[in-house]
Amino acid sequence: MIPARSGTQPRVALFVTCLVDLIRPQIGFAAIRALEAAGCEVIVPDAQTCCGQPALNSGDRDTAADLARRAIAMLEPYDHVVIPSGSCAATMRVHYPEILEHDPEWGPRAVALAARTYEILAYLDEVRGWKPDGVALDATGTYHDSCSGLRELGIKRQPRRLLAAIDGLSLKPLAGAETCCGFGGTFCVKYPAISNAIVAEKATAIDASGADLLLAGDLGCLMNMAGKLNREGSKVRAFHTIELLAGMGDGPAIGEEA
Amino acid sequence: MSSFTDRADIALADRNLKIAVERTAGTAEAKRTIAIDAFPDFEQARDRAAAIKDHVIANLGLYLERFEANAIAAGAKVHWARTADEACEIVVGICKAAGARSVARSKSMLGEEIGLPHALEQAGITRIETDLAEHIIQLADERPSHIIWPAMHKTREQVSVLFKAKHRDPHQEETIAAMAESARRHLREGMLAADVGISGANFLVADSGAVCTVTNEGNAEISLVPPRVHIVTAGIEKIVPSMGHAVHMLRMLSRSATGAALSQYTTFYTGPRRPGDRDGPEEMYIVLVDNGRTTMRETGLAEMLRCIRCGACMNHCVVFRQIGGHAYGSTYPGPMGAVLTPAFDGLAKNRDLPNACTLNGKCQEVCPVRIPLPTLLRGWREKSWREGLEPTSLRTGLGAWAWVARRPALYRAATASALKAMRLMGRGGWLRKLPLAGAWTEHRDMPKPAAQSFMAQYKKGRRS
Amino acid sequence: MSARDAILSRLGGTAVQGAIDAEAAALLIAPERPRVDPDRLEETFLAMLTLPSIAATVDRIDTLDALPQAVAAYLATQGLPPVLCTPPDPRVTSNDWVGLTLHEQVAPDENAVLAFARCGVAETGSLVFETSPTAPMLPNFLALHHIVVVTRIVAQLEDAALLGTQPRAHYWVTGVSGTTDIEGTYVRGAHGPRFLHVILAP
Repeated sequence: MIPARSGTQPRVALFVTCLVDLIRPQIGFAAIRALEAAGCEVIVPDAQTCCGQPALNSGDRDTAADLARRAIAMLEPYDHVVIPSGSCAATMRVHYPEILEHDPEWGPRAVALAARTYEILAYLDEVRGWKPDGVALDATGTYHDSCSGLRELGIKRQPRRLLAAIDGLSLKPLAGAETCCGFGGTFCVKYPAISNAIVAEKATAIDASGADLLLAGDLGCLMNMAGKLNREGSKVRAFHTIELLAGMGDGPAIGEEA
Repeated sequence: MSSFTDRADIALADRNLKIAVERTAGTAEAKRTIAIDAFPDFEQARDRAAAIKDHVIANLGLYLERFEANAIAAGAKVHWARTADEACEIVVGICKAAGARSVARSKSMLGEEIGLPHALEQAGITRIETDLAEHIIQLADERPSHIIWPAMHKTREQVSVLFKAKHRDPHQEETIAAMAESARRHLREGMLAADVGISGANFLVADSGAVCTVTNEGNAEISLVPPRVHIVTAGIEKIVPSMGHAVHMLRMLSRSATGAALSQYTTFYTGPRRPGDRDGPEEMYIVLVDNGRTTMRETGLAEMLRCIRCGACMNHCVVFRQIGGHAYGSTYPGPMGAVLTPAFDGLAKNRDLPNACTLNGKCQEVCPVRIPLPTLLRGWREKSWREGLEPTSLRTGLGAWAWVARRPALYRAATASALKAMRLMGRGGWLRKLPLAGAWTEHRDMPKPAAQSFMAQYKKGRRS
Repeated sequence: MSARDAILSRLGGTAVQGAIDAEAAALLIAPERPRVDPDRLEETFLAMLTLPSIAATVDRIDTLDALPQAVAAYLATQGLPPVLCTPPDPRVTSNDWVGLTLHEQVAPDENAVLAFARCGVAETGSLVFETSPTAPMLPNFLALHHIVVVTRIVAQLEDAALLGTQPRAHYWVTGVSGTTDIEGTYVRGAHGPRFLHVILAP
């Protein structure tokens, strides 16, 4: 892998997200690999737990603000904060300033941190100008644009640019790539029947793409779609994009044993 | 009283509904994309449309007074109604004073909102719905399921059965064209003989006192020209400063709604007929309806008042596309309905609507006036939380999560146990059944979590 | 307190009128809209008219004297009887309508109506009308065939607006009556005209 542009080596705090921490740690390790290859010094702050998105989306603003303050205090000592999830990154970048807007002390700190907080694929592509080098994977993939990353952070071309540098990997278009998969955090357990109807359509489109692999930047979406694909007996295998970029695409996919 | 979830379940099981929704909303989505791609500087046009509406909302009192003065100068009479009941009372009063036995109505969501059809029925006044979809749902005794296509939930077969039962001279061929013909025949006489014509307004033009209606069928015009009396019911937010502003909004409206550059019939009515005119009503009444709009303006929902009722949000909403309009149980479905209904009808009764949303943001992306729908929906969730309307199980669950999340050491310990437990529940890499997450595993599998969390492994020295 | 007072008192409204008007006017500077080449108005107008969404048929006459002939020809090609509903307009009464029976009172099942548009709009292919003592409105919405004489074409919708005192109704007709209310399938002639025939005249 090529080292990043010469110059400063930023101290990057990796916030892995609760889903990655509990369900699929290899995404976190892939993130470290890629960030180091991109010339970053990666620190994993020990006190990290949850960004507060479940509280925020359930209307519990006070709890969300509390978790936000803790996260800000923990992360602001670093040059950049990088997160392998569009929705969690959006929570910190877009919503922390919003929830703390009227807090004279934490409001400005939230804004300051937001400016240095990035979703990982956007960070690697646009901030580090990095591309995977010497990574090969003979497969076809299809890409799902997770909604928060797409609409709140403008994540669309960055993952595709990064994946284009993997030898042997080709991407097939996904019909309705920008259509929500029906995860929506607590939505999928509060309104399971509706969520199921949405993900069933998404699974049909994924199968119809003819690709071997399903790729996306958010583990929640991936769990939702992969879980449905598996229940329907599909052969499509799912990975988080960062895993492929870190050369771990030959490992077990989501739901596969090592 | 059915719940939202009950209605949604019924809708999800209705395959005909799904077909109908895809045919209308799905087609609208495709057509809108074509129209928007062909329109120059659409993003700037959205900014302008939002700015126009914000300007009006900020100065709404002055614009309403100006509209009123100009409408009166043109010979119309203007009434004001604080509530839905007040509005209906006024309309029925005018009809009675005019000795009306029948009224011809063109489509008006505001009319639905205030319950005008019911009020007219109660007053013993025959109501002739001239919009084809409104006619269909009147025959079926149902409520509209979409703001642009009120009868989108009905297949052609269902419409055919309805017309054959209720039309005087129904269609012979089982084609949509023949059915539309049947409706044309059936409604003609009644439309032309109605004593009063009632319309809504797409726009109220302040500097002329004009009322603008937009239709594809021309039914508004046929309903509003022959009768002696024309009544308009309009929400107070429908104001635009001038014709020029109306033109800009009209360019956005049709493209967003159906993908057309303009609807077939766009009419500006300014007062009743003039001396010498060959047709037109002798009297025109405009009822300006508040019904919660001033409250919305004061309680963080001012941006919702920008809405021009195009329907784009619901056409692109993944939830609406699965459950259709009736599941929302209100006049307005989809994302805009999820914001408006708690405002018009109370949050406690309607808390499901802002919650049954993935917050994916597509609605905001397609809204021609940039209403921040996900933000407004989240606002309702916050209010619901503050008022303790959320179910105890959710409050307890989230409370527990938050409590643990504030204590990293405890979080590690608690999650380590949970992981251990979850791993025992499945063979292979997937969990097919998860006791506390039945909602998930009912329909899909859950990937089995790793033996050790990321943080645990990292602490032990793993780095890649 | 009246409903009016109750509503207005909640809306406030202390801004200066002149400032509001300036702000409103500023919002109309250089609006985004489809571009129309001012040197190709007629071409653009005709292109819009003949799009499938409007699907008008078009004819052209060199003088208004030729109008009766043009109309008669249209009715004949459509297989319609030579009967026409006309407005009480001097351009009708001043002409010799040999072979055609005219009447002003529109029947509910009228076959064909003649109308004079104030102008056509190139941007959208719209026909602009206004009510007046010589221009009733209802016939344009009842008849199956809408025959419209256009003598002037403007570029954009803003150019079609009438300034000053407004008539009872100012309306734009963009195609024929249609609906997609049943299964999203488009049918023409919902309540209004099913056919639009535009006659360009000087």
